[in-house]
Amino acid sequence: MKRVIISVIVLAFAINSQAQRIKGSDTMLPLSQKEAETFMKNNSSNKVTVTGGGSGVGIAALIDGTTDLAQASRKLKMDEKIKLQEAGVTYKEVIAAYDALAVVVNPENKVGQLTREQLEGIFIGKIKNWKEVGGDDAKIIVYSRETSSGTYEFFKEHVMNKKNFANDVLSMPATGAIIQSVSQTKGAIGYVGLAYIDKSIKALKVSYDKGKTFIAPSMETAKNKTYPVVRPLYYYYSSKVEAKVKSYLDFVLSTEGQKIVEQVGYVPLK
Amino acid sequence: MAKPFHKKLFEKIIEGILTLSGSITSLAVILIVIFLFKEGLGLFNQSPIAKGFVLVVNKNNPVNTLDAKSIKNIFDHEITNWKKVGGERDTIILFYLDDINSIYTEEQIGQNLENLPTLFSNLTDSISGIIAFIPKTYINSDFKGKVITTDNIKVSKFLSGKEWFPTAEPAAQVGILPLILGTLWVSIGAILLSLPLGLAVSIYLAEIAHPRVRNTFKPIIELLAGIPSVVYGFFGLVVIVPLIQSVFNLPVGETALAGSIILAIMALPTIITIAEDSIRTTPRSMKEASLALGASRWQTIYKIVIPYSISGITAAAILGIGRAIGETMAVLMVTGNAASIPHSFLEPVRTIPATIAAELGESSQGGMHYQALFILGSILFVITLIVNLTVEYISSKQKLAKR
Amino acid sequence: MTLERRKELERSKKRSEKIAFGTFRAMSLLVVGILFVILGFIIIKGISVISWDFITKMPEDGMTKGGIYPAIIGTFCLIGGSMIFSFPIGVLSGIYINEYASNGLVVRFIRLMTNNLAGIPSIVFGLFGMSLFVNTLGFGDSIIAGSLTLGLMTLPIVIRTTEEALKSVDNSFRQGSYALGATKLQTIRRVTLPIAYPNIITGLILSIGRVSGETAPILFTVAAYFLPKLPHSIFDQVMALPYHLYVLATSGTNIEESRPMAYGTALVLIMIVLFLNLIANALRKYFSKKVKMN
Repeated sequence: MKRVIISVIVLAFAINSQAQRIKGSDTMLPLSQKEAETFMKNNSSNKVTVTGGGSGVGIAALIDGTTDLAQASRKLKMDEKIKLQEAGVTYKEVIAAYDALAVVVNPENKVGQLTREQLEGIFIGKIKNWKEVGGDDAKIIVYSRETSSGTYEFFKEHVMNKKNFANDVLSMPATGAIIQSVSQTKGAIGYVGLAYIDKSIKALKVSYDKGKTFIAPSMETAKNKTYPVVRPLYYYYSSKVEAKVKSYLDFVLSTEGQKIVEQVGYVPLK
Repeated sequence: MAKPFHKKLFEKIIEGILTLSGSITSLAVILIVIFLFKEGLGLFNQSPIAKGFVLVVNKNNPVNTLDAKSIKNIFDHEITNWKKVGGERDTIILFYLDDINSIYTEEQIGQNLENLPTLFSNLTDSISGIIAFIPKTYINSDFKGKVITTDNIKVSKFLSGKEWFPTAEPAAQVGILPLILGTLWVSIGAILLSLPLGLAVSIYLAEIAHPRVRNTFKPIIELLAGIPSVVYGFFGLVVIVPLIQSVFNLPVGETALAGSIILAIMALPTIITIAEDSIRTTPRSMKEASLALGASRWQTIYKIVIPYSISGITAAAILGIGRAIGETMAVLMVTGNAASIPHSFLEPVRTIPATIAAELGESSQGGMHYQALFILGSILFVITLIVNLTVEYISSKQKLAKR
Repeated sequence: MTLERRKELERSKKRSEKIAFGTFRAMSLLVVGILFVILGFIIIKGISVISWDFITKMPEDGMTKGGIYPAIIGTFCLIGGSMIFSFPIGVLSGIYINEYASNGLVVRFIRLMTNNLAGIPSIVFGLFGMSLFVNTLGFGDSIIAGSLTLGLMTLPIVIRTTEEALKSVDNSFRQGSYALGATKLQTIRRVTLPIAYPNIITGLILSIGRVSGETAPILFTVAAYFLPKLPHSIFDQVMALPYHLYVLATSGTNIEESRPMAYGTALVLIMIVLFLNLIANALRKYFSKKVKMN
């Protein structure tokens, strides 16, 4: 038994030294997974492993040096920057793609468009009934992601003017759960990435100019930058491993890599 | 027959290993305590302001300190005048780091941001109502504003705080009262549902049922304990949540009640096993005496058997609550996880274990949020420790009394 | 008291007994019914999904197609890993408590700690495992970190069953062995353990059942959302059935299409757990008969 364990350990180090490891944000998992698959197909000598856990987990792994690339759906926080500095890691940041956030409601909801100000009111708990924004007389049920997710923070910053969510919002552990709940609940409202939109929910048009123009979220409006709620998705890596990860990053940023971005449902850089 | 020395040594070594193994559980419990508190205790006596940042105001502003709650209200535009927080009548003007780009040009800021300290200094000096949230590194020795001090996070505030916004900026709100109450609501609801049911089943199995019935039912009930919690959660998500939504005609089905129902089912095997064991310990002589006096079987059960085994039943109930309090995945999937103080069973709630499971992955490791989650874990640990010790105490008393 | 009145009393006594017993029987049937509803629901929804491909293929197309092979393998890795750790230590610990520890106070203390360990919520084990194995010891998210965490969690089960098994060995066996000049260790090895062995195995099976179903302890110590390949070493992450079910039920870009996969996974998970429980029960019965015959 001992011999087996030892040989397994030896094997572990032999393999780990070659592979490029990507870790972090669950939002970016489908993207990195698909990119890695195609990248490995093109280049059979390359090995890329992709694991999730969350943006925080990925960045912590970057600090410990247990991952080569950290994928994050948010920017580094100040304390993470300080820790990277303390660990002597000089990091680099690459934007791999954009993600458009759509505000979604139940398909039976009459309301089809909202201004940013109305959204803010709904999510901070000032507006509690759909009739205040032109809908039926029904309570608004707000669904949100977990407080620590990158999606949550981006939404707070760009839609809610950095104000905090009301404390009675229902928070869901994953985007899929928000879709599920919004499609089952008549008065529900939530926010999800563009890639997640399907027939079971209705995406709202959003206005960022106080109601003059309403833009529906779609690949086109996100690409031509008319849709306002768009966030970058990042890869972070230590400059020490730049040579190791460069081929993969180059692939992601190449035309072929950016095509995959669009296939998966995210917005390509150009 | 003298044993050779090396054989004796061998036996001693084996004995040593055995002793060591015997202490493994104690060691594990101690290690768990050490590591939970090691990660968590840093939370206290730490400023709730995001690490590396400071809040600065104009030097003429009489306000010197702000508590976390007022900071949140100020940055949520709930408080818009300094008068509300003990200052002069002056409108509060919020300033974030990013706002600098809309006030100064790239040139003024400088290519390597080298002018930022001076700009911040001038800005706080020129606007009387300003409150700026900026990185500490941009505060020079000749800074003309005033740095706001904040009360550190205190244990009492942590326990009694009503708001859970662990990632809020500038100041995190780590009040766990809603989480504690949410956990208690769901668990107490679960025990209210499962105790009568569990008690009835254990009485039925121990006193009424034919041995053959008992031998079929017992393994089936034990199977309930074997089903993984995530399967219960999944079942709750696809069956019980929609059911509650339509039965009570609610806007949302993810409620404390959904959690309680699932937990009640999960706690049943524990309650039934322990309660039944305890009921079975009732001496035959007592029961026979009661029956001989003309009491019916039912009268014997509720006048003799239940009072006799009440401590065992209490132990079962407490242990059931303990199980319910610590359950994670099933609850996470069905209760909606809204961190507000619950008023009824038909509202979404957020429990302590669900909070840890959902948030730990995304929190920055070693940060304030991470520490707060470890403290939540420590609280769970302490609660279950109390539960176990109570059960232990009750059952040891029971044993003594029966001697 | 008149005869009429006494009869009346007697009748009401009978009536209340009938009502009470009826209620109890109904409630017991209800509890058993709950189990069948849950099992039936998962089986009916999941049975059509299960196929050879489902068990032996990788997930495909954002987990809406393909199978759950890596999750099954991962769960078996965790079962193996945690048993390597908890089984020997647990059995040794049980032997110590029952055969060696002579001081009643020590035994009581150890038992108390074992019970405490058994009562700690699984998520707390997850926190602990993350802090000690993943971060402090630097294993990272890996099979070894997850196995140690799960192993620690199942220790009390192994210890308790070992203890009970040893306790059920009649003292005359031990005395007979001593009388023949055997040492304590020889007695345990040659006499006590072989008799107690079947019951110890039951405990092992039960703890395997527990390991295969737990999600919270592996969330932050080993479980991966998706891995394109199988693990190569104990320092790799793995997918695991319970976490995979959680993922299928709550995330993924297309929840409606991955629902059937979720039912299938739930069914596979339940089948593994129930199968283990049934084996444990059957073994227990079989061996208890055998011991009686001896």
